[in-house]
Amino acid sequence: MTHWRSIALGLWPALFIGGLAVLPMLRLVWFGATEPLPFAQQGGDFWQGLLAIWQDDYLRGRIVWSLTQAGVTTFLAVSLGVPVAWVMARWRFAGRGWLLQTLMLPFVVPTLVAAMGVLAWWGPQGVLGQWLPWTASESPWLLIAGNLFFNLCLVIRAGVAGFSSQSAAQFDVARTLGATPWRTFWRLELPHAMPAILSAASLVFLYCLGGFGLALLLGGQAYATAEVAIYTLVAHELELVLASQLALWMLLFTGIVVGLYAWLQMRHATPRGADVMVPRDLQKKQWWPRIGIAWVWLVCGAVSLAPLLAIFIKALSASAATWAHVLSAETGAALFNTLRFSAAGLVVALVLGVCHALVGGRYWWWRMWGLLPLMVSPVMIAFGLLLVVPHWLDHWPLLVGAYALLAMPLVVQPMAQALDALPTAWADAARSLGATPWRVWWRVTLPLVRPALRRGAAFALATMVGEFAVTLFLSRPEWTTLTTLIYQHLGRAGRTQLESAWVLSAGLLCLTLWLFWLIEKPSKRGSHA
Amino acid sequence: MLELRRVSKHFGATPLLDAVSWQWPAIPDAGGAEVVALLGPSGSGKSTLLRIVAGLEDADAGDVLWNGQSIAAVPVERRGFALMFQQFALFPHLNVRDNVAFGLREQGLSRADARVQADAALTGVGLAGYGSRTVTGLSGGEQQRVALVRALVTQPRLLLLDEPFSALDADLRVTLRSAFLNDIRQAWDGQATTVRRVLLVTHDEAEARQMAHHAWRLHGGLLQPLW
Repeated sequence: MTHWRSIALGLWPALFIGGLAVLPMLRLVWFGATEPLPFAQQGGDFWQGLLAIWQDDYLRGRIVWSLTQAGVTTFLAVSLGVPVAWVMARWRFAGRGWLLQTLMLPFVVPTLVAAMGVLAWWGPQGVLGQWLPWTASESPWLLIAGNLFFNLCLVIRAGVAGFSSQSAAQFDVARTLGATPWRTFWRLELPHAMPAILSAASLVFLYCLGGFGLALLLGGQAYATAEVAIYTLVAHELELVLASQLALWMLLFTGIVVGLYAWLQMRHATPRGADVMVPRDLQKKQWWPRIGIAWVWLVCGAVSLAPLLAIFIKALSASAATWAHVLSAETGAALFNTLRFSAAGLVVALVLGVCHALVGGRYWWWRMWGLLPLMVSPVMIAFGLLLVVPHWLDHWPLLVGAYALLAMPLVVQPMAQALDALPTAWADAARSLGATPWRVWWRVTLPLVRPALRRGAAFALATMVGEFAVTLFLSRPEWTTLTTLIYQHLGRAGRTQLESAWVLSAGLLCLTLWLFWLIEKPSKRGSHA
Repeated sequence: MLELRRVSKHFGATPLLDAVSWQWPAIPDAGGAEVVALLGPSGSGKSTLLRIVAGLEDADAGDVLWNGQSIAAVPVERRGFALMFQQFALFPHLNVRDNVAFGLREQGLSRADARVQADAALTGVGLAGYGSRTVTGLSGGEQQRVALVRALVTQPRLLLLDEPFSALDADLRVTLRSAFLNDIRQAWDGQATTVRRVLLVTHDEAEARQMAHHAWRLHGGLLQPLW
């Protein structure tokens, strides 16, 4: 691709991310740095005010709790997930393929639905939670369970990929040199998979630190994270300066973790060899792999699958009055809004994501620029937009733009990987056969990267259908989506309202999965000439 | 006729092509196809030279001419030179017929006409009935013939071959070399008046001796005549 063509293509996604992600972040920092601070008003300067946040018990508590819950979740996700990943990478057992695919589910489940699932399973009135003595209505473990629902599968999938890329020859050499299976695991297999596990762990920490929907629903006021506190300060107390101060600290911590993640990615990329280890069949007298497999089903079942099942149990046990209440014009309007905002966002995300991926590849900083919206929390983006363009808040394109911004990295990532893997000889062959660059893209490149594009589009659409944080910040009453409607039901008193939230959560889950399947389902391969 | 004038290309600070000047030789009694070979070890720059001729890469300096006219600014798709790649580069999402029809469609033929011509061309090289097959299911020799037909069915002015036998087994290589020139004559325009020109890039001198009328060696960025 020529230099000028790259610039012409890359300009639009660059401006889009710059305008909707970087500019709001800079405005947030500037606002926090220049506005008079409540703590600095009695003669202190900016730095005193900034540090004074740590002297406020409530705000210090929010920051410490945010870091703590992210740390505990990361520790638990790695402790539970690595053994599961090892067993899944090494042994072939009934349901293994299904389980690996099903572990993709949490990636597409809306945050609010996940929170409802955790409540339905582990909560005080949950299917399992009602029998557990330690689950209180405001327990820190509910948020940890919610975090684990989303992030355990991330560690497992990364771990399976890491362990699966282990060279079989290296493993055999270690065994012939006298290493027991246990020693081989510690000295060879775990170090080999460690880069993938550490990268996943840093992502888990990052997602938990910036998570909003789960923390809002599962943490309550007693266990509100910094993100929830920022939302409360902005939306309910109009304390914009305090909120921006808190946001500055969270941006700093996020930046450190993003830097760590990028460093790990660059330093520890392990190429997949040709002689990789394949999972083995179980032998009749081997009992310890069977314990491992039981562990796999127990962990995946309790943490990732049961909460989804519990939503349907709760929804199906709702009364007829609840169903009548749900099937109203209000729900229809919310469904329409969800679909129109998501569809518009998908078009923008696809066009800009493809442009970005086509330019990328050669420059790591360009890749990182495209993935930037994934690294910054939606609450920060929404708050920043609130400061940058307050007079645009009644224009729905801003909401669609924010949706597209959050979804764009999900298109960029698989597309960039697919384009990287495409041998240049195909495009060169097409050019030498008389195809112009545009025809090469249409007739050769696009058909070959279409599966990746579909996958990206499916994840992007699922993300937007279930979007909650930005919607809550920027949405107007007439733009209520399904997620904000569920949240509204939870805020209203009465049994019917709670049951309506269960039913709507089940409906939203079905809608998300159906849309995901519709886009991702494999198309029949045929001629494209 | 192809001509190179002081073509230079650097790889970092190392000169890969050092002001190479060269002209297509006159070949009387070529027997249907004029074949010129470009020999050189791996990394000598012969494939780069081929890509510069094809228009897939730009030279740092110098000019490429066809019939005395500079074609340096002509984009690859309008040069009329077909390039056959080392690993054949058959499009995996298209079947054999649509691979062959690819270039014809770019020349403006309808899908139906392009497919008819593609089938005819496949029949000419003994691949009748292969049209609906996937390219990944073909043997190495079959893939080579499909790639050759795909390149020639567009009636190029010049056929560029980049190590056309290197992806094949040693035994198959020897067997296919002799059939290859026949395939070229079959698949290219059937008219007797057409001059078929082939520029073959290879590191295998035996291959060049068997196929080419003339050969040059690329060494130290310069072309040296061999025969």
